[in-house]
Amino acid sequence: MAKTILHVEDNEFNLKIVRQLLSRTSYRLIEAVNGEEGVAAARNELPDLILMDIQLPKISGLEATRQLRADPKTAHIPIVVITSFALSGDSEKAKQAGASAYLAKPYSPRQLLEVVRKLAPEA
Amino acid sequence: MPREEVTFPDGSLARHSAPSGWGVRIAYFFLTRTPVGKVVLWIAGIKSSVHAKLLSGFLIVTVLFIAMGALSLQAITHMSRQTALLDQAHNRLDWSRQIQHALALQMNFTAMALLLRDETTVEKILRENNRFNNTLALIAAAAVPEERDIIQRIRVAQGEALTAVADIANLLRDGRADEAMEMQLAKGYPLYEQIAGLVDQIVNFEQTSMRGMRASVAAATRRTQVLLGLFIVASMLLAILLGFVISWSFILPVREAHGFVTEVARGNFNAKINVANRDEFGVLADRMNQMSRDLEVLYEKQRAAAQQLESLNRQLRDANKAKSEFLANMSHELRTPMNAILGFVEMMLDDLYGEVPPNLKEPLKDVQLNGKHLLNLINDVLDLSKIEAGRMELSMAEYSVQDVVDAVGAALRSLALEKGLKFNAGVEPGIPLAYGDGMRITQCLMNLAGNALKFTRQGAVDLWVERQGDRLRFRVSDTGIGIAENEIENVFAEFRQADARISREFGGTGLGLNITKKIVEMHGGRIWVESRLGKGSTFFFEVPLRSRERAGA
Repeated sequence: MAKTILHVEDNEFNLKIVRQLLSRTSYRLIEAVNGEEGVAAARNELPDLILMDIQLPKISGLEATRQLRADPKTAHIPIVVITSFALSGDSEKAKQAGASAYLAKPYSPRQLLEVVRKLAPEA
Repeated sequence: MPREEVTFPDGSLARHSAPSGWGVRIAYFFLTRTPVGKVVLWIAGIKSSVHAKLLSGFLIVTVLFIAMGALSLQAITHMSRQTALLDQAHNRLDWSRQIQHALALQMNFTAMALLLRDETTVEKILRENNRFNNTLALIAAAAVPEERDIIQRIRVAQGEALTAVADIANLLRDGRADEAMEMQLAKGYPLYEQIAGLVDQIVNFEQTSMRGMRASVAAATRRTQVLLGLFIVASMLLAILLGFVISWSFILPVREAHGFVTEVARGNFNAKINVANRDEFGVLADRMNQMSRDLEVLYEKQRAAAQQLESLNRQLRDANKAKSEFLANMSHELRTPMNAILGFVEMMLDDLYGEVPPNLKEPLKDVQLNGKHLLNLINDVLDLSKIEAGRMELSMAEYSVQDVVDAVGAALRSLALEKGLKFNAGVEPGIPLAYGDGMRITQCLMNLAGNALKFTRQGAVDLWVERQGDRLRFRVSDTGIGIAENEIENVFAEFRQADARISREFGGTGLGLNITKKIVEMHGGRIWVESRLGKGSTFFFEVPLRSRERAGA
């Protein structure tokens, strides 16, 4: 059965990159455009991996990560936090919120795919 | 310090906070409970200089003492005059007694002449008569008016007595002794009796007058003693009173000023000094009040300025916060499209959209290269802005110097190979783990080594780290274009590259060295360069082996 990836991101071009990147793979992709939707989608779909942008409308990626980690239903799902600040300490914050991995924008699509395959190997 | 308020009889207040002892308490008793306080205020209110007031006080006391001296002198003069009068009276008494003696002798000799019937004895009578007359002349010369009449009568009686003696002498010479005896008894003897009575009168008079004089001298002496005593006591009291009121008319404003200055020192610029004085102390008090008003105005101005500063400070803090938020947002807003641009290009070059036609490969690579360059620029500008805003924070942790050098070597080795440059990266053996922001130190070394590779066309780039006591020294040397002597001091400035042509040829933002310098300084280190134009450059930086983060550089 195909693994499901949830991508939470508000920029349509970045959504498109991941969509096109994963179109050649067996992963099933679902998308959410803000923190709230992201948390709801994660609870409904229980994906195998979540790509979480750090700066999102409604609630931030860090907050969404914390909520999912606090929920026993979603606590086990690996979450890759993608930040665009690249400030010292951002990786710390991501880890504290419960992120499994951390990627700074601009990321290389190749690199992203490597991380995805590592955390949720294709069936 | 105890603070006392004293109310004067006229209702005015004296405030002071000077230490007060018994003397001051007694003084305040007199000032507040007796009219002395009013006198003090009156003297203070006299429109005259302190000098004149002091001089007047001393003059008054001096005049009193002069008057006392004059009084004493007068008493002494009076007494010596009385004594002289007494002396004269005494003389007159002496003379009167001599007259009495001479008279007795005359009578004696007359009696002898009659007994002896001897004419020669009469001469003795005449001699005594002369003595009598001479002495009487002395008394007459010194006689007081009351005595003159008696003296005149004595003279007349004496003249008659002498005539009688002459007659008796003639009768004796003629041998008529019985007649002479008769004459003596009828005329001579009564005359002598009369003279003796008159002389007794004078003696009595002198004795009485002498008693009177003695009593009057004694009375005058007593009077003088009492008067002088009173004068001395009065002068002393007046001198003490004058000293007290004059000195307190000066002490009060001084104490008032002391209280005032204490108030001002405590920061009460509303303090007012209120003194009755219209002398120098009054002028001083006016000046002090003026000073207090000026100070208050200054204080108000200063407070307003401080408030303004505080509000400015608040605005600045808000602005700084806004700047930080703006930076965070800008970072996100710039990176998001960069992510899309670089992401799409990479996917195209990875043939995700099918094989790229060969003639498009180069332009796509150019887009990628310039995109990455733009990203570097954005990173540099954001780094610098963070440093400037004090938002750059070091992530302090243990790090391995070898790891830092390895990371830089790994990142740049391929570039060196591409340019045909020798590239050596090494670390002195035995350096322990360092403490600091390893990522930022890596960024610094990467900047320096990247520059060295960029500005070197042939030769070698060497990278070396060694320990200097408790510091780490990083060294990056190249055989590149070098830096002109007059440009060396500018290489660490923002947006400065040694030459505008260089930026066209080699690219770069000109921010790398400035950022490097600031990161090194945040670690408590320093950076410097040795270089000669055309002979290559060597950049050094030193950071403590174990850094303590400094406030934003």
